[in-house]
Amino acid sequence: MDREEYSFIGRSIPRVDARSKVTGEASYTADLKLPRMLVGKILRSPYPHAKIINIDTSKACALRGVHAVVTGKDTAGEKWGVFRYTRDQQLLCVDKVRYVGDEVAAVAAVDEDTALEALRLIQVEYEELPAVFDCRSAIAPDAPLIHDDYQRNINVAVKIDVGDVDSAFKNSALVREDTFVAEEDSYFMTEPYAVVANSGSDGSIEVWMPNASPHTKAKALSNALKLPLSKVNVRKITIGGAFGGRSDVFPAEFITCLLSIKSQRPVKVIYTREENSIATRMGHAMITTIKTGVDKDGVVLGRDIVSWLDGGAYSSTGPIATSVPFLCHEQTYRMDNVRFHGYRICTNKPVRGMIRIHGRSFACGIDTQLDMIAQELGIDPVTIRLKNARRAGETTPTGSYVSSCGLIECVEKSAEATNFLAKFKNASPERGIGMGMNSVQTGFPLGIRGGSQAFIKFHEDGGATVISGVVDNGQGNDNMLVQIAAEELGLPPDDIRLISADTEVTPTDAGSYSMISTFGGGNAVKSAAADAKAQLFEVASELLEADPEDLIAKNRKIFVRGAPDAGISIARVVRKALILGRPIMGKGSFSPQVDQRREWISNPKGQLSQAFSFGATVAEVEVDTETGQVKALEVTCAQDCGFALNPIVVEGQFEGGVAMGGQGGMLGEEHRWHNGHVLNPSMLEYKIPIIKDMPEIKPIIVETIDPAGPYGAKEAGMSVAMSAAQAYCNAVGSALGIYFNHYPLTPERILDAIENKKTGIVTAWEFEPATKIEVETSPKGSK
Amino acid sequence: MKKQLLSMNVNDETIEVAVEASASLLEVLRDELGYIGVKEGCSEGACGACTVLMDGRPVRSCLTLALEAEGSSITTIEGLASGGQLHPIQQAFVDRGAVQCGFCTPGMILSAKALLDHNPNPSDEEIKDALAGNFCRCTGYAKILDAVCSLRPASSSKPGR
Ligand code: FES
Ligand code: FES
Repeated sequence: MDREEYSFIGRSIPRVDARSKVTGEASYTADLKLPRMLVGKILRSPYPHAKIINIDTSKACALRGVHAVVTGKDTAGEKWGVFRYTRDQQLLCVDKVRYVGDEVAAVAAVDEDTALEALRLIQVEYEELPAVFDCRSAIAPDAPLIHDDYQRNINVAVKIDVGDVDSAFKNSALVREDTFVAEEDSYFMTEPYAVVANSGSDGSIEVWMPNASPHTKAKALSNALKLPLSKVNVRKITIGGAFGGRSDVFPAEFITCLLSIKSQRPVKVIYTREENSIATRMGHAMITTIKTGVDKDGVVLGRDIVSWLDGGAYSSTGPIATSVPFLCHEQTYRMDNVRFHGYRICTNKPVRGMIRIHGRSFACGIDTQLDMIAQELGIDPVTIRLKNARRAGETTPTGSYVSSCGLIECVEKSAEATNFLAKFKNASPERGIGMGMNSVQTGFPLGIRGGSQAFIKFHEDGGATVISGVVDNGQGNDNMLVQIAAEELGLPPDDIRLISADTEVTPTDAGSYSMISTFGGGNAVKSAAADAKAQLFEVASELLEADPEDLIAKNRKIFVRGAPDAGISIARVVRKALILGRPIMGKGSFSPQVDQRREWISNPKGQLSQAFSFGATVAEVEVDTETGQVKALEVTCAQDCGFALNPIVVEGQFEGGVAMGGQGGMLGEEHRWHNGHVLNPSMLEYKIPIIKDMPEIKPIIVETIDPAGPYGAKEAGMSVAMSAAQAYCNAVGSALGIYFNHYPLTPERILDAIENKKTGIVTAWEFEPATKIEVETSPKGSK
Repeated sequence: MKKQLLSMNVNDETIEVAVEASASLLEVLRDELGYIGVKEGCSEGACGACTVLMDGRPVRSCLTLALEAEGSSITTIEGLASGGQLHPIQQAFVDRGAVQCGFCTPGMILSAKALLDHNPNPSDEEIKDALAGNFCRCTGYAKILDAVCSLRPASSSKPGR
């Protein structure tokens, strides 16, 4: 079908959830109020590493107004991990604490003051242990072990080796090795984390919390609480941003449920901003050493990469987090020979997860080094990228077939729109320009089996209700589902109600991590709508005396192609179907075609994701060489999103990606530390971009119509967030003639690099490389 | 703790409520009076999610003592739409795609309202100054700027002035 024939798809129509958000009606977790609800508070470890000798809760229990106190004793040491082989986080610490903030005990009381007083009355006896705060000291032979079974504190070791890298280096005209370092960054979604749990006398429990996958949360809670899945009901709630930081399961959910079960009353836990920073997830710090060999034209012949990720105290999404920076890279760049050793290393710091620009040191390192190689060979940054960029119809080194890819177009369009080459040649502190490119997945298997399913039911007035497990974190998934159903059913979005992300009612869905929602959930709703439509056409064909094949649903009517005026209303068809005893009930599902044998550690090969999005971003900046301040002037971002289901929403994703990935992610966002304590957990000290920081952003939407995406759509904006970080980095670099290798580029770092500017094509700083580590017993991946 | 009687006008309604002397305006509006559109993002004056208008001026309700509101008129996001009709700023936010997760939206709209009420034709810079205290993590602010610019007189309804 041509774009012009679509009624709703491909058009910038307002989001269905916008109205309730501008009026303040939209209810987020902290807004919930239930009768007799208690306030829950969590006691956290003050030490980065310590043995728990004893916990005495008697005084807290005796305090008036306290209804429940829980400790590790109430949990039987129950542990959480995304995979069976990474189950290493006790939901309440029993024997040991591993970071400042680890959950030790919790209380539920009539009000906040009483709850806080009760926390003060809990006496915990600790025996402090030596702690480690960075990768290098954590892997030292004599370092204290954070978990007994992670030798040298290596939590995850991923190894990928394709082709013959050593021969490729021998055949290369130029080989470079450089090391890139990035510090920890954080999500700072505007809504602080919160949980409400309400236990029922029938042994069921309802839970509300910002989440990226209600079904994953329900599964984890059902396991930990030993309740049947049907009795753990994670409810729909408006969510104030995620960016990867709501994907995992957190102890707080489990603790709030325990408190509610114990007190037999609803309990609400609202995290302080500080707790949101330290006790949900944050981004990994990372050291990446990249060795690249190219021929004389700049074509990459081989790469050997070693990454060390500082994972903090527990596994979280460890195997995935360790692999994804490499996988994004192998999707973006062609190369026949490549080796990757990724190590996620435990330290006594908060737990790290995947963030919107996960792997800054990896992605920015690749692109910075590419610019260095180009400079050495006398090629420009655009040409060297075009020579190495992925194309459709190719297969990545680890075996993912790329069915659609508009990367070349993204590079060409963004270069042309910015007049890149001329500006690059004349780069100066007044105007530096840089380009980055990247690619992300549209979903990979994690935890929930079987993709996404959807149901559609009809009302007698012709309206419909769509039921889907997809969750909306703020990116617009609810609208995406409604828009797709509207298109398919020929109903205006206003006629469609959506029930989503409530595990009691909605069928399973993988969750909105790994950029899968449009591709997976969108496809499921599309197929449910197609099923409903086929049933409608079946009945309508009898009324219209026409072949169902010739029918069209549009503007609330069903008619024979070419004869819209002779149509009948969908409402009439729905009623007729009821009379005939053939009520319209659409159902659909979608499971992405990926290689189910692929495993992150034990078998990292095969189709990872069914489709991939690609993006290229160009940033233009001005650098004040006196102060080290960078002002972004203009950012142009091009992304192949497959098909823009709603262009204004897609642009919004691009713009948000530039803010978080480039502006914040490359110019200032990082955590500072003292002995395992985060020095800047609050919004006053951790600087996220404000409106005055933002440059003008020029979005370029590239469409390649993926064969399997709904209407050809893939995902929107994620490869922009990543490539924006790379573009900003290279733009500052070109402004100063410096190759930066320590991120983010704070004024202090920029001034230091200017002061100690080196000659020749070298990185600004020399770091000890990340090296291969021999380990015998890193956890084995298993199905 | 002893409570004191606070009387103020909230969204054109006269309200009397007993509050503790230490209670913030945010707590009273959200917890006592149920105006959940007043969001709490940081509780330390950084994010602007809790912005309400006090006698037309934007204030951070998390840093404002409830008793400071004695005798004043408070506008929360719930007070903008009337008779099912969105306020033009709300409508512009909807139409221009300025809303994603929506957590910053009430504060952002109220800051914009305070600006436009006394300066109906602000420059881009004036808009950015007025919204500089409202964090948004989702949008990159581009569509928010678009939305506010669209409310300027027709000749300058796009950013770039
Ligand atoms: S909650 Fe008041 S400024 Fe953040
Ligand atoms: S829309 Fe999410 S913080 Fe602004």
